[in-house]
Amino acid sequence: MLEVHDVSFSYDNEKLILDAVNLQVRRGEITVITGPTGSGKSTLALVLAGFIPRTIEGTFTGSLLIDGENAENSPISEIAHKVALVQQDPESQISTLLVSDEVAFGPENYSVMPSEIQKRVNVSLNAVGSLHLANRPTYALSGGEKQRVTIASMLAGEPDFLLLDEPSASLDPKGIQQLQKVLLGFKNSGYGILCIEHRLATILPIADRVLRLSKGKISKWSGKTNSARTTPAEHFRRPDSVEPLLVAKGVSYSYGNISAVRDVALSVYPGEIVALMGNNGSGKSTLINLLAGLLHSTVGITYLDGVPSNEMTAQDVAARVAVVFQNPNHQIFERTVQREQHLVFDILESLGEIPSERPDEVLLAAGLAELKERNPFSLSHGQKRRLNVSSVTVHEPLVYLFDEPFIGQDEIGRNFITQTIRKRGKSGGAAILVTHDSAVATSLCSRIIFMERGSVLLDGPPKIVLSRLNEIGYSEYADLGATS
Amino acid sequence: MTIEHQSTESGSILHRLNPSLKLAGLIIITTGILIYPSWRFSGLLLFLIILGFMISNVPLDMSKRRIRFLVVFSALLFAFQVLMTANGTILFFIIPKYSSMGPFLPVTDFGVEKGFGMSLRFLLVVFSSMLFVSVTDPTLLAHSFTRFRIPYRYSFALVIALRFLPLFDMENKTVRMAQRSRGISISVRGMSRILRTIRYTFFPLLISALSRVDALSLSMDGRGFGHSRTRTYLRKSSWNALDSAVLVLLSALLLASILLTLGFLPQVSAII
Repeated sequence: MLEVHDVSFSYDNEKLILDAVNLQVRRGEITVITGPTGSGKSTLALVLAGFIPRTIEGTFTGSLLIDGENAENSPISEIAHKVALVQQDPESQISTLLVSDEVAFGPENYSVMPSEIQKRVNVSLNAVGSLHLANRPTYALSGGEKQRVTIASMLAGEPDFLLLDEPSASLDPKGIQQLQKVLLGFKNSGYGILCIEHRLATILPIADRVLRLSKGKISKWSGKTNSARTTPAEHFRRPDSVEPLLVAKGVSYSYGNISAVRDVALSVYPGEIVALMGNNGSGKSTLINLLAGLLHSTVGITYLDGVPSNEMTAQDVAARVAVVFQNPNHQIFERTVQREQHLVFDILESLGEIPSERPDEVLLAAGLAELKERNPFSLSHGQKRRLNVSSVTVHEPLVYLFDEPFIGQDEIGRNFITQTIRKRGKSGGAAILVTHDSAVATSLCSRIIFMERGSVLLDGPPKIVLSRLNEIGYSEYADLGATS
Repeated sequence: MTIEHQSTESGSILHRLNPSLKLAGLIIITTGILIYPSWRFSGLLLFLIILGFMISNVPLDMSKRRIRFLVVFSALLFAFQVLMTANGTILFFIIPKYSSMGPFLPVTDFGVEKGFGMSLRFLLVVFSSMLFVSVTDPTLLAHSFTRFRIPYRYSFALVIALRFLPLFDMENKTVRMAQRSRGISISVRGMSRILRTIRYTFFPLLISALSRVDALSLSMDGRGFGHSRTRTYLRKSSWNALDSAVLVLLSALLLASILLTLGFLPQVSAII
């Protein structure tokens, strides 16, 4: 059993992130920990994996026990032999260029003999259903494949306990179902598994127990979810003789020889909120960038509010569209939260009548009003994402294009982003959000565009599209949506 | 550096050469043209490097923006050297004599030679580095370093740098798009705009890189990196007869560069 006793931790010696936490992770069991952003879930995982207090600084009290033995004096490499941590972003954890090298990396460090390493590489990749990837370059893998390779690389060290921090965050429904299968297999093989998850629906079907971490304290999860997401979307009626805000006419785009978007034609009208769905690598993010005028199509043309995107300056783009990228760090430019919020007013000179108090009002709604003087890069992932949304929508451009905005968001973050999108739809604008979550699509959106290999496969009202997906072999979208 | 510039395959002769030998080759070529900066010598080596691209099936696509940029930049280097070098026999004037005006901007034989030397050296250093990255497996390179008793902690720094190059390249493109989406135009007009452009580019890239470094170091520590002074390797580099032959050739090249520089080979230096 892996356990922590009376663990308290503070990064800055002021704010207590963990407050006398007790937790046991048993072999053959899947334990799930949920809780709001910044509640200390990832910190708890770092304690369980031994990184705190060994490599991460802060004030630590309490103890870590592995199979009843106090690990206080054990070095990290010894703890890592028994406890493996898979962090949130698989991309950042891969250290080599070949899948088999990556999986072999751990055993090599422990000076395991090459013949045994080869055996472990095969067994580990097989356990995550990825033996066929052994000779593939790591940079050419999809998000789901990277996730599974990262898990395999931890398994190759033959640990007893596996800790996973938001393993489903960037996975499509198919990837989530595969992950569930993989984790169930590990559980049956006797691994003790701890999963940290915001999207409980993805892990609930296989969880043995669910705990909640809030304000540094751990408690049993009550089973209640926020009702905001279950409100069905209002039926959208397109007014007659209204021009579309976004138009794509026969748009294609390639990265070198790889075709990412193929012959896409669509129109989005004022008032519409569209869910852009599809498996990892189906071209959703590329299409968003094309519609925003950030990429120029190799074939075809896109129009934003009637203007060809390829004729727009950066200022034209910013005045008309709010884009939220997947990684919040990529679109933070200023030194304080307040300056970031005001950036658009410094850059765009003619924004029309915008009340001077609006930037602060939006910050307040985003729950960031008290952090105005903070450096935005010091915020948590969830807070950064909310700052992204508030700073790109503060001048209320006509179109919102959000790429997976709900990743890593707790209820507060989800509600803020949901309300921001809804408001835009109601006030005559339009929004497209990339999501894998069918529950979000049905509750927030009036239309789903489903992409397959760069092309639009289905386009219509959420219920009809999900029902059709069920019929044509994408049942996982409907299944996971139903349990959300 | 783009994704396709990295290779883990072992197909061609160049792919199969010992990684340390390939690194030594890169160093010798670079040193050779630095100590003996003849344009003919640089041109000959550049020809061999382009041959290397062909042998190893590594595309050197002139239609790609980056390659085009390199070639255009080397042409600018050439033009700059030609215009700035007044010594030598005048071949012609760029602006000929007109009435009582001119002539202006003489082009001399020495200027042309110097220009060729500079631009060919530039292309040689860049293309040979690209070829090295394309045909060298970083993991095998790390292993080959252990034969020289270089601690694996240092050799893996190189592996990780190569692993993250394509990622940072992609991130740079994303940040550019994010700038455009916020209305930020890249501008170099005035010091304050230059500083702002640098800040708006490097802040997000740096923070993203640092967050990845944290995650990577936890991931490596969590898999026993640094557990002991030595480690085993699933895949190992090897040394065979071909490597020995190439080593002899490279040593001869280095020796020839030194002798040419010192003026011990007057007949040869008259040709190259």
